[in-house]
Amino acid sequence: MEIAILFGMVIGMMLIGVPIAVALGLSSIIFLMTFSHGASLASVAQTLFSAFEGHYTLLAIPFFVLASVFMSTGGVANRIIRFAIAVVGSFRGGLAIASVFACMLFAALSGSSPATVVAIGSIVIAGMISVGYTREFAAGVICNAGTLGILIPPSIVMVVYAAATDVSVGRMFLAGVFPGLLAGLMLMIAIYIVARIKNLPAQPWAGWGEIFDSARDASWGLMLIIIILGGIYGGIFTPTEAAAVAAVYAFLIANFIYRDMGPFKAGMGSLAMVPFRAVSIFWHRDTKHALFEAGKLTIMLLFIIANALILKHVLTEERLPQAITEAMLSAGLGPITFLIVVNILLLIGGQFMEPSGLLIIVAPLVFPIAIALGIDPIHLGIIMVVNMEIGMITPPVGLNLFVTAGVAKMSVTDVIKAALPWVTIMFLFLIIVTYVPAVSTWLPTTLMGPEVITK
Amino acid sequence: MQLRATTKFGRLVDEIEETSIAICLGLMAVVTFANVVARYAFDANILWALEVTVFLFAWLVLMGMSYGVKKHVHIGVDVIINAVSPKARQVLAIISVSLCLAFSLLLLKGAWDYWYPFATERAWLETDDIPMPEFLQFLADTMNEGERYEKIPRWIPYLALPLGVGLLTFRFLQLAWQIFTGKADRLIASHEAEELMEELEMVSPHAEPVRSVKPGKEG
Repeated sequence: MEIAILFGMVIGMMLIGVPIAVALGLSSIIFLMTFSHGASLASVAQTLFSAFEGHYTLLAIPFFVLASVFMSTGGVANRIIRFAIAVVGSFRGGLAIASVFACMLFAALSGSSPATVVAIGSIVIAGMISVGYTREFAAGVICNAGTLGILIPPSIVMVVYAAATDVSVGRMFLAGVFPGLLAGLMLMIAIYIVARIKNLPAQPWAGWGEIFDSARDASWGLMLIIIILGGIYGGIFTPTEAAAVAAVYAFLIANFIYRDMGPFKAGMGSLAMVPFRAVSIFWHRDTKHALFEAGKLTIMLLFIIANALILKHVLTEERLPQAITEAMLSAGLGPITFLIVVNILLLIGGQFMEPSGLLIIVAPLVFPIAIALGIDPIHLGIIMVVNMEIGMITPPVGLNLFVTAGVAKMSVTDVIKAALPWVTIMFLFLIIVTYVPAVSTWLPTTLMGPEVITK
Repeated sequence: MQLRATTKFGRLVDEIEETSIAICLGLMAVVTFANVVARYAFDANILWALEVTVFLFAWLVLMGMSYGVKKHVHIGVDVIINAVSPKARQVLAIISVSLCLAFSLLLLKGAWDYWYPFATERAWLETDDIPMPEFLQFLADTMNEGERYEKIPRWIPYLALPLGVGLLTFRFLQLAWQIFTGKADRLIASHEAEELMEELEMVSPHAEPVRSVKPGKEG
């Protein structure tokens, strides 16, 4: 009952336009002051600070955001798209299939879905329209393929899940690889079938030379995923350090190799000045701008996550997860029904909430039940991430819908309609991921050994 | 809602805040990266790297939340407030901003209560790894009964709590005034397509919709 009041407050406040972070934080404070005796405001402040001091995993978020901002400069996306078109463009519907492929590749450089939509979508949507696709088709494809940003590692949402449940970030990243490939493949096949029916155009086959050339050109950017995954699994650095190295690498690539930002953007200039100008990257306007944009996004995300941690703190204090677990188990809940419940809960929640905040709240509630039912925590994590993906492309609060509307210059309502047919593919994919655990768990188990479940 | 400062002073404050955010994040990345380099290239560890990064992270977000309020960065659900009449929207915005003020005032009390003991009776409590810079040693006389600090005392990083939440309260007050006078109609980031586009162009200023997908040779 008390808990219903707590969540009622959160939802009520969110609906009248209170920022999500404040809705979470204030509801928790009010709840603590009314129902929980002995809790002090100071302990709330401490919990807020512990988002930084107590969760080293979350430290990876600002660095992944930063790497993503450096990689979002036009040059990297352009090169990835060129490579994607060279590889799959000659199929019927080739440009759309290549767009999905490019989204998958970009997702491997960036941990965020909206960033993927912007980087790839702002280039390919215009391209698709110019060769005869409808605007709706182009927008629908990009809106859906962009969600792969949080499924294909690195992924900010996975970092948040790992922080909330104390599973290994490395395992989560590995677990996302096959589902990410599968989802991309399913979208591509669907596009191919539609393209056959609608007789959509194909790009001319550019030959192996073009594939090789474009691959070499894009390889500087694509190296990033090797650095991140290789570094983590090779035991060279922690996920947080991997993220920081990725950010620095992306910064150097954008400034010196691709030169689409920084002092060499307009050309090398006179040779004598090169060393000076090279050093000037540290105070260059573009550098500051990228750092500031990444900082702003980090602040927005972490303000929500920190407040969600206060709510999580309240829930654990009230022993709510245990109560729910007992109630569920005594009601004879089996793994299959449980997973359906989790899916429904997250699909509804995902429509209203920002993914990271929602995960912090829901993960501790369902995690103990999942463990008790023998569901693999990594598998549960991937299910949650896929649910978040669908939440991003369904109204009213689908972030990808808004971003796609901006990129494709369409109204949000039109984007919702355009995305809908492809959302069914994502639902099919969700069912596969939910009931075939091996898709998620096979790779991490093979490479890192079986999961040791503590608790 | 893109809010550009209109006065000279406003622009200066914007500039200071934006530069601090950039420097903070930049330092975090550089320190963490340097630690990796030190480990592999020099077989050494920068002992204080992790702790410094963590505290920079806390300062970035805690001090940055108020900037987010000023610039309407924080996201929320705008389905209902977009559907109702402007009059009703103002009423909802007034309720919302009052709730936000309640939040920040309660949190301010909590932040102060949490921080104050660290600055007084527990002023001797030091961080784990961050050495005390010499120029701050004068603090030892007033706060640590003259005993030198080996490491930075904890109240310094924790200062971000009362400072940040104080600033947050100030920004919510400002926003409340704007809503009362009808200059703003909401607290959260709006999702109108054109405005979002404006923001996106700021994120990736080079991503233009181009028809030719082959990048030109640079140089």
